[in-house]
Amino acid sequence: MLNEGKIKVQICLGTTCFVMGASKLQDLERMLPPEWKDKVDISAQTCLGMCQNPDSGFIKAPFVKINDEMIGEASVEKVIDKLKELIVV
Amino acid sequence: MIGADETLFIDIGCSQQKKYNQNTYGDFFISKRYPEERRLIAVLSDGLGSGVKANILANMTATMILKFVAAGHNLMKAAEIVMNSLPVCQVRKISYATFSVADCSETGAVKIVEEGNPEFLYIKNGKVVPQEAKVIVSKKFPNRFMRTYTIDMDVGDRLLFCSDGVTQSGLGGATYKLGWRREGLIDFVERRLSLIPDMSCRQLAQEVVAEAQTKEPERKAKDDISCMVLHWREPRSLLVFTGPPYYADRDAEYAHLFINYQGKKAICGGTTANLVSRELNRPITTEMFVKGALPANSYMEGVDLITEGVLTLSKAVEYLEDAPEELPDDAAGKLVNLFLDSDCITFMVGAKVNQAHFDPDLPLELELRKNVVKRMEKILTQKYLKQVSLHFI
Repeated sequence: MLNEGKIKVQICLGTTCFVMGASKLQDLERMLPPEWKDKVDISAQTCLGMCQNPDSGFIKAPFVKINDEMIGEASVEKVIDKLKELIVV
Repeated sequence: MIGADETLFIDIGCSQQKKYNQNTYGDFFISKRYPEERRLIAVLSDGLGSGVKANILANMTATMILKFVAAGHNLMKAAEIVMNSLPVCQVRKISYATFSVADCSETGAVKIVEEGNPEFLYIKNGKVVPQEAKVIVSKKFPNRFMRTYTIDMDVGDRLLFCSDGVTQSGLGGATYKLGWRREGLIDFVERRLSLIPDMSCRQLAQEVVAEAQTKEPERKAKDDISCMVLHWREPRSLLVFTGPPYYADRDAEYAHLFINYQGKKAICGGTTANLVSRELNRPITTEMFVKGALPANSYMEGVDLITEGVLTLSKAVEYLEDAPEELPDDAAGKLVNLFLDSDCITFMVGAKVNQAHFDPDLPLELELRKNVVKRMEKILTQKYLKQVSLHFI
């Protein structure tokens, strides 16, 4: 498959996430260093269902899922930092 | 004629262009639906002159006729009274306002009265078919007369009314010395309908007005240009699913009800889209483009439009209220376009509330879905004359 081995980034575009800042994350792809383009697969999701999940702990919207890890209060910087860890390893 | 127990939907659309350099329209269009009587009355009036004076004259004439007919008076009688009572311009010695009125039944029967406006077009299978008029001369003013018609409309038939600004567009210019004229209009309408046979009334009216304007030198309209189109057809229906059902154990039932609906289908809400996707096992893909201040659209097989929920719905209400000439290319604009191209709109509104929407940390106040949908119902029914039903689930 084309996306095999790529780091999967899923941005939640549900109402809560969108108003809490996911609108800025839609531009994420453009902000990544060009050499990462082949290593990361970014997609938008209608809703990751986190804001209505009482077990989501204390993390808050906007939510971004990187592979299997859920990131709360996600920002472009936060996502890039996380990707840095994953790409270096 | 359509069978007595069979009813169709009467679509109606109007478009107007002001006379160049005027700040208001001198033609006036008004229509009203009477759902209990399965009836629609539409009036187009052209006030003498242009600008504010013409606007008031046309507005008064059209409103008067509509109220008269709606109050149960015979259309011919009402039109005759109005024709006889319209004042005459002291300078020009002609009537203050002209009018065309159509009293339409969803079963297909139509009565039309025209006074002073260009003759309407009856369009059948995309072709204009001439109609014979009965002429009634005013008892009070010998130079004033009205043409009356009775027509039985079939499925797909259309009526097109226009002000003389359409047929006389381009008059006096180099190319159209005698104006665009009725022949030019007929030719244009038949040509456009042969390319797009199911064109909506809104689009046809807009195209006629735009075309008439291009006939004018430098596109500066010398008169107010108005066009009104009516179309008898099978109702186009739309189902909007927004919000998950109150009882989660009924998710599957509603998902199937939604997808089996005969007509267009839209989902407004991320959770609702996920629910349908999960129950029907159909994947969703979401666009990543930034379009306006709203989340982008998503796609699923068998669904015409998927948007985010309450933000998009609120924005769509705003667009319906403001009625911009060109709708923005965002999710709410697409939703409004879907509304405008439908006649019967059903909302399936899930009663489940997302607690996170009440987080005081949210940068803006999110409206309750139920309230937004109720406002939407009101505006779609009253301003856009749609048949709307709400189901809270």
